[in-house]
Amino acid sequence: MLDKSSYFIRRALRNMRQWPFLCTASVLTMAVALASVATFFLVVMNVQLMATKWSEDLQVVAYLEQQPGNAQLAQLLADIEKFPEVTTVKFVSNKEAMQRFRSRLGGESDLLDGVREDILPASLELSLLPEYRNRTGVEQVVRRLEAHVDSGDIHYGQDWLERFETFVAVLKIVSQALGGFLLLAALFIVSNTIRLTLYARRDELEIMALVGATLRFIKVPFLLEGALQGLLGGVLALVILSAVFNLFLSPVIQSFWLTPAGIELVFLDFNQQLLLVSAGVLLGIFGSLSSLRKLVQI
Amino acid sequence: MIQLYNVSKSYQKENTALKDLSVQIGKGEFVYVTGASGAGKTTLLRLLYSAERPTRGQILIDGQNISRISRFKIPYLRRKIGVVFQDYKLLNSRTVYENVAFALEAQGKKRYEVSKKVYQALKSVGLEHRLQRTPLELSGGEQQRIAIARALVVDPLILLADEPSGNLDQDVALEIMELFRQANARGTTVLLATHDHSLYHRFPRRVLTLEQGCLVKDHQPETL
Repeated sequence: MLDKSSYFIRRALRNMRQWPFLCTASVLTMAVALASVATFFLVVMNVQLMATKWSEDLQVVAYLEQQPGNAQLAQLLADIEKFPEVTTVKFVSNKEAMQRFRSRLGGESDLLDGVREDILPASLELSLLPEYRNRTGVEQVVRRLEAHVDSGDIHYGQDWLERFETFVAVLKIVSQALGGFLLLAALFIVSNTIRLTLYARRDELEIMALVGATLRFIKVPFLLEGALQGLLGGVLALVILSAVFNLFLSPVIQSFWLTPAGIELVFLDFNQQLLLVSAGVLLGIFGSLSSLRKLVQI
Repeated sequence: MIQLYNVSKSYQKENTALKDLSVQIGKGEFVYVTGASGAGKTTLLRLLYSAERPTRGQILIDGQNISRISRFKIPYLRRKIGVVFQDYKLLNSRTVYENVAFALEAQGKKRYEVSKKVYQALKSVGLEHRLQRTPLELSGGEQQRIAIARALVVDPLILLADEPSGNLDQDVALEIMELFRQANARGTTVLLATHDHSLYHRFPRRVLTLEQGCLVKDHQPETL
């Protein structure tokens, strides 16, 4: 058994040595296919991460008709903090609102000179738990607020929230469709490349069958070869992706677009890297298997 | 050793390669199969090493009926049969040693056994000094001798040869014939398809003549 296994491994390695061009073509095709799929995955992952980051800014703001007294305010804040959707609640008084407005106007804050300090309404700013940062969650909170607060207006960026939810839904559909398409294209290209490399070696398959080799004896070294090429393809894809990400993508995108938004791009974690290399191995094995089925006839 | 009973092979309705062929070949016999191109010589050999199945009839090899043999048993049948082709069917990317060793490795033989037998087989065809060459570095006659060594290295019960000297000049063809005779003398049953009359005039043996898929003559020379 051990003797046979070592023979199969030796033969797989010898085949790769004897057909360097075909072997390189298979490895490169697999690396490019896997790198394309992984790049797409990386983009989707980072966009989703950004979307999550943006959703952290989602707040429900209730503008109060009248500024409550201290006791009433403490009670109100305590009640709102008990809402299951709410993480924090902050009271913004009329004066604080005016100060914020002034600071936002910056150099032009003197426009507000002579305006009464209490002209802006006091408000309550509610931050929500991540799972409630969607339309349903927000509407739930708004209903609760309406029962507790005498509010002139409850604001939660309805338009933004609708656009954001549409964006996330579209992102999901596009990423699934495009990801599926890319994966199928990768499978198709890889299995065809392997088929061509095996077709170039069909004499070997025919002669093996003629001299009495069993199907297993013929197929196992080719499957091992496919797995090895897949492994190399996966590692190469990871190296290419990592190099492009660290040397080009991350510094450029980070410096131009993302730093002001406080978002950092992330690379594949260890498990995802392992998944990529394993996908290469599986791609090699199944690509070889489907081609061998058609080419090996006893 | 080889028994055929009413064997027919058709590829299409109108195209019958072999018709109702019945013949028995004994253990250790040397038999020529002759006939014009398209007579059915190659089809007969392909049926014997199970590259094809007969449309009708029964074929027995060493007592085993191979007419409806399962594809999983075919490799084990082929281990009893050595096959030599006109175009040699060697692996040009492999060395002479590797080409011959291939047949033994396919049967799962141990490494030390493989190297010993390969050397002996190559010595018997006079090519033991060309172990590390590749087939394309050798002449046609030498390539055919490697193919014969590969067929014989497994000690087959039957040796099938399909026009083995078809691409070779007369002198080399005679050298090749000598190798078949030696294999036959060691007890291997040899079935050699050829349309070269000079071969069986020089080495007279039983001759099966096919014509349009039918056995028209089964001639045993009187000298035997």
